[in-house]
Order: sequence, then C-alpha cells, then structure tokens
Amino acid sequence: MVALVIALALFFDFTNGFHDTANAMATPIATGAIKPKTAVALAAVLNLVGAFLSTEVAKTISGGLIREGSDGIHITPDVIFAGLMGAILWNMITWLKGLPSSSSHALFGGLIGAALVGIGFHSINFETVLQKVILPAIFAPLIAGGVAYLCTRLAYALTSRHDPETGDKLTQKRGGFRTGQIFTSSLVALAHGTNDAQKTMGIITLVLIAAGTQTPGSGPQFWVVAACAFAIAIGTYAGGWRIIRTMGSGLTEVKPAQGFAAETSTASAILASSHLGFALSTTQVASGSVIGSGLGRKGTSVRWGTAGKIALGWLFTLPAAGIVGGLTAWLVSIGTVGVVIASVAGTAAVLSMYVASRQTHVGHHNAVEVEEAGQAVRFRKKKKSNKSKGAQL
Amino acid sequence: MKWLELLQVAGVTLFSAVTLVALYSLGVRLTAIAGDAQQKAPGLLRSLAYACFAVCGAGVLFGIYLIVPYFGK
Repeated sequence: MVALVIALALFFDFTNGFHDTANAMATPIATGAIKPKTAVALAAVLNLVGAFLSTEVAKTISGGLIREGSDGIHITPDVIFAGLMGAILWNMITWLKGLPSSSSHALFGGLIGAALVGIGFHSINFETVLQKVILPAIFAPLIAGGVAYLCTRLAYALTSRHDPETGDKLTQKRGGFRTGQIFTSSLVALAHGTNDAQKTMGIITLVLIAAGTQTPGSGPQFWVVAACAFAIAIGTYAGGWRIIRTMGSGLTEVKPAQGFAAETSTASAILASSHLGFALSTTQVASGSVIGSGLGRKGTSVRWGTAGKIALGWLFTLPAAGIVGGLTAWLVSIGTVGVVIASVAGTAAVLSMYVASRQTHVGHHNAVEVEEAGQAVRFRKKKKSNKSKGAQL
Repeated sequence: MKWLELLQVAGVTLFSAVTLVALYSLGVRLTAIAGDAQQKAPGLLRSLAYACFAVCGAGVLFGIYLIVPYFGK
C-alpha cells in the first residue's frame, strides 16, 4: 500500500508539472524572448533546482494539516491514497475542461475529504487549514495582483519617453524587457519548484510517517526530495511540448514590459510564501498577477464574466476534490476489494480522459491556464498609428 | 498569529518586486537614452544601465540566498 501511494504521489507530481509549465514559460515564448525548446528545458531544470532549495512547504503538509500521532489518531496510507485519488481525478477533469484550477487545492481538498470520511471530523486541524491554506489562497493572488499592478505602472512610467520640447512621444524602446523576461520566467519556474514539488514531498513524508517508518514531525528524507524533484521536472518537460504545439495561433496580448512586471510579482510572492511554509497555488498567483498587470496598462477594463469564472473555479476545487477523496476513502474502508475497485476505476478514468483529450482539439484554453486570466482584462483597441511594432516595444 | 506572516509575505513581495522592476526599467530607460543619436555621453549612460541590470541580478541572487536553508545556518 505504501509503495502504491508513493507511486500515485509521484504521478500527481508529474501531472502538476505537466499542468503548470505553461504558466511560467508561455509569455516569453509568445513574445519571442526565448526559443520554445530552450524555454521548456530551462523550466524543467529550474523546477528541479527549486525543489531542492527549500522544504518549508513540505513540512506544513506533513506536520500540521492532519493531526497525526500524538492525539491517538492514526492517519493511514489508505486515507492518503484516497486523497491523492481525489486530487488526480479533479486535476485531470479540470485539465480536460480547460478550467484554471489549482493542483494544490485539489490535493488539499482530496486529503481533507478522505480524512473526514476515513477517520472522522476530529481528524482535521481546521486551524492550520484556515491559516496555511485558505487565507493564503485568498490573499496571495490579491497581493500578487496588486503588486503586479503597481509594477506595471512603474515600468511604464519609468520607460515612457517624451520629447522635452514638443512633448511628442518618442520611440519607447522597451525591447530590453524581452530579454528580462527570460530571467523572470526562469524565476517563476524556480518558484514553482520551491512550492509545488514540496507538496508531493509532504505527502510522501506523511505516508512514511503513517506507515511508521519515519518519526512524526520530521522533514522529508533526501530520496523523497530527489524523487519529487525529478517527477516534477519530467512532468514539466513533457507538458511543454503541448504548449509549443499550440503556440502558433497567438496568445493573449501581453507586452514584454507587462509580462516582466507580472512575472516578477509572481516569483516574489511565491518565493516569499514558500519560505514561510504557505502552500499556495502557483496557478492562482500567476492569474492574479496577469490580471493585475493588465489593469496597470492604460485603457483596460476587467471582463468580470471571465474573472468570475476563475473565481468560481477556485471555490469549487476544494470541495469537489474533497468529494472524490471522500468517496474513495469510503471504498477503501470496505477492504482490499475496495482498494482494487478504487485503483481500477481511477486508472480507467485517467486513461479515458487522456484518450478524450487526444480527440478534442488542443487549444490555448486547455494548454495555458493563465490564458483565462489574460482574457479577463479587456484591452482598448489601439489607434492604427500606434500599432506599428516600434511604437510599442 | 499567521496574519503577521501574511503581512510579511505581502511586504516582501511588494518590496522585492517593485525594487527589481524599478531597477530593470531604469536600465531599459538608460539604454534607450544611450541609443539616442544626439546623446553626448552614450558610454557613461550605457555603463550606468549595465550597473542597474547588475544590481537587479544581484538582488535576485540575494533573495534566493535568503531562502535556501543551507546558507541560513
């Protein structure tokens, strides 16, 4: 059972990397700052490195979310198995539907649902859930969005050039931001490694603790860190090919200066939170930044319909994954037969969704999650004279 | 209380992102000015711009240095 759960956890890690490459690397590829192949390889390597950097988030998950050991409550590998099942299935569903959802919240939802059904109401440390998951989930995107707004304003203000005598607009020459984007998007990939790879490490550590091979409250072991780092890196690399294939038809209108500001805010927010052990959703932070930086440009307005759809996705992820996790926990509690049924049903569901995804057209809506956030901001149509490339870069 | 930590995250994010973006923008601006035809001292401006980029990069590295627990001890 322990081996099964670890395998499942690593698969979750893989889907996580698969899901999120686009968030970091889509904009620099779109603005032509970096070649697609290089971008994807870079993202994979930086995810790998990021995973080794910090283990604070892993500790949040392995020690605190679910009351383990001391209070006499034993969380079993069964419960974690159920939780992961919920997370992976929800991840696959949202990926198929092109909903911008958070892998992290799917994971938490699944685990919480599984623990509620498998152990009982008292098993969840609601205070920790509120403080380390719910609050950051609400505030991190807002913080990132606000900062991105300010940064975009700042970047444009600092680089806007007017002729001192006539007051005419000079060529802006903002091409330097394009090069800068290579670095900022790399930072986002690194930050992704420090936060998202940690979550799987936390889960595997939790399993090891539950199985009694590791003392409660200790951090992840080295082989766990290494395995997770590689799983997310491989997932990132695999996921990248999908973006490259779909990059042809153009992306949301993001200017290099804007992308630079958004990415800097995203990376700062995620790295700062990782350091304090907040497990937040990189997808949501990135979405917040993209919307914020879009608003920072002159003459933009928010498409509230699309923004509302994103918010709805945030709200639904926790309970939906929780329900799947709870159902699996109930199946598992029946006995070995239940475990077999759950595994087979889960594998079948994942496979069928994969097959379905091959048949449907792969477009931006399911390749780039942040795309949705980019759509939430409406840009004013520019006058024709401004549309020449030189004026905007 | 976690509110304090949340505030900390907000503060750090704001500070680091704004600093980096400001420095980089300044660098971009200076390179742009240095490229102007009538500019008298393009060399000086250009080196100033590079200094901005360098400080920016150093800031990023310092931030990562702060995060890695290995260096923190």
